[in-house]
Amino acid sequence: MNSALALRDELEELYAEYCDVIDSGALERWPDLFVEPCLYRIVSKENWDKGLPLSLMLCESLGMLRDRAFASQKLNVYAPRTWRHSVTQIRAQADGDEIAARANFVIFETLHDRPTQILCAGRYLDKLVRSGTELRFREKICVYDSALIPGSIVFPI
Amino acid sequence: MDRGENAPMTSKHPEEHPTRVWPAEGDCRAPYWIYTDPAIYRRELERIFEGPTWSYVALECEIPHPGDYKRGSIGEKSVLIVRGEGGEVNGFLNRCAHRGVQLCQDESGHVREFMCPYHQWTYDLSGRLRGLPFLRGVKGQGGMPQDFELSDHGLTPIRIHVRRGAVFATLHEATPPFEDYLGEKILAFYDRVFDGRQLKLLGYSRQRLAANWKVMIENIRDTCHASLLHVFFVTFGLFRADQPSKVRMDDEGFHAALISERGRQELTDATRQIRSFKADLKLQDPRLLDTVREFPGDATVVMHTIWPNLILQQQSNTLATRQIVPRGPSEFDLHWTFFGYADDDEELTRRRLRQANLMGPGGLVSMDDGEIVARAQEGFRAGPDGASIAEMGGRDYTDSDHMVTDVALRAFYRGYRKVMGL
Repeated sequence: MNSALALRDELEELYAEYCDVIDSGALERWPDLFVEPCLYRIVSKENWDKGLPLSLMLCESLGMLRDRAFASQKLNVYAPRTWRHSVTQIRAQADGDEIAARANFVIFETLHDRPTQILCAGRYLDKLVRSGTELRFREKICVYDSALIPGSIVFPI
Repeated sequence: MDRGENAPMTSKHPEEHPTRVWPAEGDCRAPYWIYTDPAIYRRELERIFEGPTWSYVALECEIPHPGDYKRGSIGEKSVLIVRGEGGEVNGFLNRCAHRGVQLCQDESGHVREFMCPYHQWTYDLSGRLRGLPFLRGVKGQGGMPQDFELSDHGLTPIRIHVRRGAVFATLHEATPPFEDYLGEKILAFYDRVFDGRQLKLLGYSRQRLAANWKVMIENIRDTCHASLLHVFFVTFGLFRADQPSKVRMDDEGFHAALISERGRQELTDATRQIRSFKADLKLQDPRLLDTVREFPGDATVVMHTIWPNLILQQQSNTLATRQIVPRGPSEFDLHWTFFGYADDDEELTRRRLRQANLMGPGGLVSMDDGEIVARAQEGFRAGPDGASIAEMGGRDYTDSDHMVTDVALRAFYRGYRKVMGL
């Protein structure tokens, strides 16, 4: 098969798996999709555009990813909800051993006694590497468009 | 039946709810109708936010250069905070003097002058109207009357006070000087964080929460909840009932400082009673809570509520202002501005950014608050007839040397009732 097409298939699969892990509540598997050293950030477009360094979530190691996943699953207090990621327009470019990928995301949030709302929309700015045969995230920066979040962001996005 | 003064339901102003009376227990209770009633909310905008109070609107480091501006709010009113030509900080309503169009739509930016796009009325950085097209007509036709003076039609100015890097604004002429307004005791805590050093802006977080604005302030002043709701605070000793703590307030109880020292992750008389305490919880990457002492004294956390719209947070090495913008009885926006000091080294900045994981709309601690305030509002909707109870630590208003107390809530209600005439 054409290698560009093969890469596209692989990326589609990785992003589908990434969304599934979060949306199905299997957050304990979320850190497995990264490799050490890694960086995960959620940043508002406002901060990103102004060059301000603050993140809404910041994980600088697999340990921090695991701590965040555990807190989301076991420690934090929030209303029960369902998330549904939609990831589109994945584009990738090889850069040495790394692959730089971009994609759009939308997260639909359903609090159990409410109509579904859009929690946020934005772009993933990712760096991927091969770990054995699998593609994994070295870096994932989630830049969300509207600075104003309806309520809270209780899971990683 | 006598239709005289004994017929409250036929009042000319039914929205005033003349039958609503504060519970007999006084400031140990807060009736739920203060969180849901639109008439109460309107009175709050008028008497509190637009009354003789100082609203927090900006940090000076957000607008370092002449022409830099940012939007702020006084109650629901959008205001512009602008760095003037001479370096001074000016404030105006965010509204063109011509047809009332909102002047700036961006949260912040830089301009040489303000021009309303509708009819191109143009104002300088101090709000003076500098010109408008067709002032003297076109080819001798039309134009403004001869006696129309540009100087009569500037932007509506707002009184501004800057103290050590933070900017406050008021719409009321009787608002006392800022330092008198805070009082000596609270001013000392304010000056502990705003210690005269240049501030450095780290970024913003913003969220819209489905609750009455007062619930957010009460959440901070309700010192007990920090020891129960937040596993992160409890387990890692960031803010917990068994640690040396204090509650300090101004004479009227409008402003408060909640002060504490970090404790250890150990079983104590307090942690035994707290179900959310996790003796065996370990962070896989402990850098999150690797804090350094940076302020004089023993306190490692001071949470301030500055009446009416500011929560000033110093939790270990995270510093932030949280600005409350009310949006009706059951909704408010919370704008977080995280900052450090211009002389911070890279390592300290990294700590601030890392510890910011605890705070904000995705905060390991603050997420719980954002959720619980909305859940409280849902509870209030079940009926305005109930009232919340604030009797922990007694029924008085005096400063406390521990945090197992609702004293800051009682003082809040006392001040609130006075202003609101309730």
